[in-house]
Amino acid sequence: MTSPPQISPAPIPPAAVEARGLILTLGTVQILKGIDLTVAQGETLALLGPSGSGKSSLMAVLTGLERAEGGSLIVAGQDFTTLDEDGLALARRGRIGVVLQAFHLLPTMTALENVATPLELMGAKDAWARAAQELEAVGLGHRLDHYPAQLSGGEQQRVAIARALAPRPALVFADEPTGNLDATTGAGIVDLLFARRAEAGATLIIITHDEHLATRCERVVTLGDGRIVSDTAAK
Amino acid sequence: MSAAHPLRLPLATAWRIARRDLSARFKGLRLLLVCLFLGVGALAAIGTLTRAIERELETRGQAILGGDVQVSVWQRSLSDAELAALGRLGTVSTGTRTQAMVSNGDAVAPVELKAIDASWPLYGRLTLKDGRAVGQPPEGAAWIGEGVAARLGVDKGGTIALGALRLKVAGVIADEPDRLGEGMGFAPPVIVRERVPFDAGLIQPGAMYRSKVRVAFADQREAAPVVDDLRRQFPTAGFELRTRDRASPGTERFIDRLGEFLTLVGLAALTIAGIGIGGGVSSWLDSKRGSIAALKVLGATSGDIARITLLQVASVALVGTAAGLVAGVLVTPLLTNALSGLLPVPKGFPVEPLALLRAALYGLLVAFVFTAVPLARARAFPAMALLRARVSPLGSEWKRAAWPVVIGLTLIGATAMISAAQPMVTATFLGGSAALLLLLGLLGWGIRGTVARLPRPANPLLRTAMANLHRPGAQTGALVTALGFGLSAFVLLAAISSSLDANISARVPQKAPDYFVLDVPKDRITQFGETVQQFAPGAEVRTVPALRGAVLAYGTPGRMTRLADLKQLPEGLGPLRGERGLTYADEVPEGNTLVEGKWWPKNYAGPPLVSIDADIATAAGLKVGDTLAVSVLGVERDVTISSLRRIDWATMGFNYFLVFSPNALREAPHNFAATVDVKNGAPPPTLLRQLAKAFPSSSVIETGPMLRQARDLLSQMSLAILAAASVAVLAGIAVLLGAIAAARAARTYDSVILRVLGASRRQLLLVQLGEYALLALVLALVSLALGTGVAWLVIVQMFEFDWLPDWIEVFAVLGAGLTLVLGFAMAASLPVLRTRPSQALREL
Repeated sequence: MTSPPQISPAPIPPAAVEARGLILTLGTVQILKGIDLTVAQGETLALLGPSGSGKSSLMAVLTGLERAEGGSLIVAGQDFTTLDEDGLALARRGRIGVVLQAFHLLPTMTALENVATPLELMGAKDAWARAAQELEAVGLGHRLDHYPAQLSGGEQQRVAIARALAPRPALVFADEPTGNLDATTGAGIVDLLFARRAEAGATLIIITHDEHLATRCERVVTLGDGRIVSDTAAK
Repeated sequence: MSAAHPLRLPLATAWRIARRDLSARFKGLRLLLVCLFLGVGALAAIGTLTRAIERELETRGQAILGGDVQVSVWQRSLSDAELAALGRLGTVSTGTRTQAMVSNGDAVAPVELKAIDASWPLYGRLTLKDGRAVGQPPEGAAWIGEGVAARLGVDKGGTIALGALRLKVAGVIADEPDRLGEGMGFAPPVIVRERVPFDAGLIQPGAMYRSKVRVAFADQREAAPVVDDLRRQFPTAGFELRTRDRASPGTERFIDRLGEFLTLVGLAALTIAGIGIGGGVSSWLDSKRGSIAALKVLGATSGDIARITLLQVASVALVGTAAGLVAGVLVTPLLTNALSGLLPVPKGFPVEPLALLRAALYGLLVAFVFTAVPLARARAFPAMALLRARVSPLGSEWKRAAWPVVIGLTLIGATAMISAAQPMVTATFLGGSAALLLLLGLLGWGIRGTVARLPRPANPLLRTAMANLHRPGAQTGALVTALGFGLSAFVLLAAISSSLDANISARVPQKAPDYFVLDVPKDRITQFGETVQQFAPGAEVRTVPALRGAVLAYGTPGRMTRLADLKQLPEGLGPLRGERGLTYADEVPEGNTLVEGKWWPKNYAGPPLVSIDADIATAAGLKVGDTLAVSVLGVERDVTISSLRRIDWATMGFNYFLVFSPNALREAPHNFAATVDVKNGAPPPTLLRQLAKAFPSSSVIETGPMLRQARDLLSQMSLAILAAASVAVLAGIAVLLGAIAAARAARTYDSVILRVLGASRRQLLLVQLGEYALLALVLALVSLALGTGVAWLVIVQMFEFDWLPDWIEVFAVLGAGLTLVLGFAMAASLPVLRTRPSQALREL
């Protein structure tokens, strides 16, 4: 493995995501079959599609969790095709926030510690204060010292949103953020996600199969069998 | 958001995250803590004890020896020239040692008679029971040992008879400063003035006594050059020389060997613990996969993950090591108390920094070696794993771990070899351990491969049991290594312990005579036999001429090797060190077999001949026709080797390395030694009394106490070995439990799914039983072979004992080990089986 390259602060270009001909194969199955996608800075976008259409895989590639073996990809000003695993981790750090369906909080840390961790990884001096503010903002000011196991599903997802947004990322990805929640709680979470995104001015990409949720975004991209089948402005 | 972020997580931040996670998930690292605690604790205790005894021998060398240098010779006093040479070095203290018998009325006690002059003791003080610190006893008086006081029923103020003299008991000995340097005693001591043995008629020409002269140097000087100088000045004197820095060479050798053996046992415990450490850390990291992946999603690099997990493992390893060191120091006084009668041990809590450092180094290196692979794997764990199936194993990054493992193993090997008293034994042990690990690793791989290739059974439960052994992420390799090591340790210990017990019983000779009698005058041999027969009819009496002498040189005439010129005696020539018992005989001694050459004819009158022990001849490269130069009573004489004999040492009677033709020694003043074997039961008390009366200058050694002492020594050795080995067993059990617990995590998922699909608890238990029974069966056979093989090496090669394991005990212990494995495996499944499937599903 090569040593992680130096990540220099770069001005965020007008496009938050610039993908051309992305190809991803897992084992013998080609998951993504040449994806072209440009997402403007500050835009909200929904990735729609049935199970197995490649939504989550595309998100994994766009967040640098997976590396495409074909095509070019520039995310938040960084050319992801030239970075190794550690380079991708550094590129995510502070620039990309990820909210997952199963929350994936660190079970051994309190809510406050969970939110402070990405700030600490960035080297932020005021990590704890900012984390506390962020939790206040998602309505969990009274749950700072609770462990994930002591929180409800909705509360856990709020912590995950706070954790993703605390570093003020340029890009926020949310993979089925309401998938594990009931309808009422889910609606509350979506409201919160959109409100916090607006305050931060970040680009938001939501992966969902919920068409109603997709309509809340400015743009809806639909995937089918590893390809973009439609790209429209939301109704 | 575009601030420059640190590329490498600062140590303080890494530590903060590590500590936060550790405080909540410490449970997973308990096995690391326990294994290091046990292993380091055992090594710390062994090292501290050994080093503390060595230090006692070093620092108390002058007191233990009773001087800076000691010269001893048998059956003569030192000449004026010899004494003058010693006198030039400093203050001289002279004296003699002999076996004797003292009596009080009808009560008789064999004693070690120590006659000393006014300068004794040159170092330290003799302490009496009444608290007085004294030197030489007053005129006409004696200090007596507690054993003598008890046996004769006398105390301070009473009187005892010694030969023709009556002596007043002036005090009972509490602590004799040079007791250890006097060597292994066969009887309690009586200390008298220097002239007493002569006045009592005990020391006459040919009597079996020893003169000891000690010197306290007048100035600061090294002892070794003095010894060399004395050897040069008096080459044929037959001096046995000792110095303050090797005051008790026998004890030092014993401590060296025992210490090294125990260190190896401790290292074995630590190796077993290492497997537990590797397994424990692996399963801990496995349980952290979600957290590791989540941290990577948040932007942590592989290096950050490595730093965080390394800090966690290192901090727990340090705590385990520190706790082990403290336990090692705390437990040492228990060991020193147990050994205080046998060896010089310090009081209180001895702290030996070097021994503790070595124990800590071993512990941390073992932890380093065994955690390198799982830590390297955790480093490479992909963030994408959050979105993938849970069965995906940790990435294989063994190449990254190869260097740390090689460096760690090299350092462990180097540390062990640097401090090894027997490098061959240590090297064999290290090589053997590595081979064993490799063998078990291959076996795990083989079992996995074989089961994978077997046809899939129709029964789904059997299919699951077999799949558990070979599916991705299966713990088969770790289980085989841990169970193999653990069960082998059980077998090893059972075989060693039962063999030692059997040796203790077998070695204490069945045919031992009841008494050894020294200094039977050669003109009263017949009368001695008659006296014995009168008071113990039917007793068997054997008498042999007894002299003392030292071998000065050996080899082919003209190309002789002088012992004084050898820096170190070649292996196997130990019996040639110093003065030894010599005898002469007309016929081949009983229990000896001639293996080469011819025995001399009766009334042989040619050049002096000698028959020597065949093992010594082999070790020295001697053959029939070669020559020995022997010093007897200070006179050097050359003798030709005429035959080699095989001696049966199991018969505890008169066994001499060197037997001369009668004409070689007969003219030297000497007495006879005798053995008395009362055939039925214990010897009648009147016999000892009558012998003391009829032969006042002779002395009797009772074999009963001597055998008891030997038995005690062997028992203590066996206890020390078992105590150290029990740590290995404890570590083995911890590893077994850890491996099974780690494997359980993977089983839980299957069990829950199978229950959802309708499998009963009984069926699931059978799946587990089937899987572990298969492993246990294979491993029982392997462990039996490995455990008994290593035990044989320890018993036969290392301790040179007979191979006498109690197979019933070995199989019983192996059976108990297997029951433990199966029992724990079953018990580990119970919580999952007791839970309702719906609840278990939620918890997955």
